[in-house]
Amino acid sequence: MPYCVHCGVELDATATFCPLCHTQVLDPVQPPDTEAPKPFPTQRGEVAPVSKQELALLITAMLACVAVCCGILNLFLKPESGWSLYVIGVAAMLWLWLVPPLLARSMHLLLRLLVDVAAVGLYVYLIALDLNGQSWFWGLAAPIILWGGAILLLLGLVLRVYRRSAITTLTILIGSLGVFLVGVEYLIDLWLYSAWDPSWSLVVLTICVGMVIPLIIVRRIPSLRAEARKRFHV
Amino acid sequence: MPEKKAGSEWYRLDNAGVLYSALQKETYSAIYRFSAVMDQPVDRQALQRAVDKTMPRFPTFRVRIKKGAFWYYFEPNDAPGPFVKTDISNPCQPVRFREDNGWLVRFYYYERRISVEVFHAVSDGGGALVFFKTLLTVYLREMGYTVSNTCGILDVDAPPRLEELEDAYGKYAQGKGRRAPKPGKAYQNAGTPEPFYTFNVTMGFCSVLQLKQKAKEYGVSITEYLTAVLMKVILDKQHREAPGRELPVALAIPINLRAWFPSETLRNFILTARPVIDPSLGEYTFEEVLHQVHHMLRLNMDRHKMRAELTGNVRFTKNRLLQIVPIILKNPVMALGYRVAGVRPYSGTYTNPGAFVVPPEMAPHIRRMEVILGQATIPRVHCASISYGDIMEITFAGTQQETDTERDFFRFLIRDGIAVKVESNRTQ
Repeated sequence: MPYCVHCGVELDATATFCPLCHTQVLDPVQPPDTEAPKPFPTQRGEVAPVSKQELALLITAMLACVAVCCGILNLFLKPESGWSLYVIGVAAMLWLWLVPPLLARSMHLLLRLLVDVAAVGLYVYLIALDLNGQSWFWGLAAPIILWGGAILLLLGLVLRVYRRSAITTLTILIGSLGVFLVGVEYLIDLWLYSAWDPSWSLVVLTICVGMVIPLIIVRRIPSLRAEARKRFHV
Repeated sequence: MPEKKAGSEWYRLDNAGVLYSALQKETYSAIYRFSAVMDQPVDRQALQRAVDKTMPRFPTFRVRIKKGAFWYYFEPNDAPGPFVKTDISNPCQPVRFREDNGWLVRFYYYERRISVEVFHAVSDGGGALVFFKTLLTVYLREMGYTVSNTCGILDVDAPPRLEELEDAYGKYAQGKGRRAPKPGKAYQNAGTPEPFYTFNVTMGFCSVLQLKQKAKEYGVSITEYLTAVLMKVILDKQHREAPGRELPVALAIPINLRAWFPSETLRNFILTARPVIDPSLGEYTFEEVLHQVHHMLRLNMDRHKMRAELTGNVRFTKNRLLQIVPIILKNPVMALGYRVAGVRPYSGTYTNPGAFVVPPEMAPHIRRMEVILGQATIPRVHCASISYGDIMEITFAGTQQETDTERDFFRFLIRDGIAVKVESNRTQ
């Protein structure tokens, strides 16, 4: 029978490590028994998950119902303006955001972002068409949407590729918000005055940097990081 | 409100049941498990037959829980089942009232192990052990052995007796009631939570004889000795963490009231003792902790005090104002109350239902007994132990990643000259 060299407790013949101190069982004369059943089952009990297809169907039905109801109401309420198209547009946008990821077994991040950004772009474009605002759409709205999409793509890649802690995630999110708003002001300035004159976005960026600095310090000092993880259960 | 309404056989929950049903959520489990490791691999069909024969004898286990406007209540469950299932690695999953046909008792088997999980609103450990012992007897009979109905085993062919169904709290709630004074905050002994569906169980097995000898050397009982060891390792753990101010270390020790107030109820009938050590007064040696625990536990065993406390608890749930509050408001308030009075003042729970005694003809078929308590509201370990023959089984179970408490506990026993064997469901 194996014993833990640190704890002094006897271990099960199938144990490959001590469950108390995680020290490996290394006995060249008697390696762990891989044939005998483990003392506990290995299959986890889980609650049956909600079927994704059923959820997608429910969301589709709800959004379609909203669109149809508003369309019918529009026939009687202010029929001269096509206000219901705005609601229908929102329903269509929400559908594109929510349903394809539920139906697709695994949707590539780039494709998902492309669909989401295109849905927003299309919706704003339809508004621009209704309001006769081609110039502000191409000059301001489209660049801001694309800039937001680019930031989201970058965020998605960084958060997905690197194994990160909750503190790092929060740092990246706050930092991205600051950078996004600087870009927004740049695009607004460019469209309005054809020159960049940074003002409010710098204030926001400074606030974001101010929030990020303590997080970076906590992230970089191991004892602080361990304490934060313990206290906040992250 | 009558205890039992004619025509529709519903039951009011007892005092402890009211609390456990109000607290139930996905991150807390008022489920506990007893297991028996047999001498032969378990025959699933025989076990299912045994369950089918045993359940009708225990009407208080054969119930589903229903939500009324003001309180939960039990009603007989005539749904198919409960069915014996293959065991899972994360036992004592929180009860979900609408799942599994509403059954509040679960049965599992794995290799030689038979396990039964019970929702605490249904019964306490004392009642569940009578149920489990009877089930094991019927199972062994199904396997062709002859076992007599002695040592607390109930006859499954006899009808249930009214004494087994009584609300013992209500029966003994008389005279002056007194609710326990609100204790202060204790060291929480919390760790880093594991992801959902992970429940770490570590069991230690040691000799009852060795433990008895060691406890005798100190002049205490086994329960007092193990309680003191647990408190000492938690005290040392807090000291190592070097907090600004060391908080008291207190344990919740359920006391089976049947020994003081004669009752044959198979429902809940427990109170909680709270041995506490305040390290801000100075560093306690193990002998000092043991001395304190020994006297504190005995000081609590006062029949009159216990009656006053259970009366106070019963009066509280019968409070007119509380009764008219809808359940939807009552549950969060009770959950908050539990956090303040049932979680904050304790560093953990330790329960020892004692020795599992079976008739001599049954003894060779059972190798050992095991007990597991469900997950606490915060990621910390609950400790439970049960003895069978010469094997004392001690379980640490919780949703925290760290193993500090159980590691220090078992290392302490080893240093004290008690050999320990450890098994766990941890995979890393």
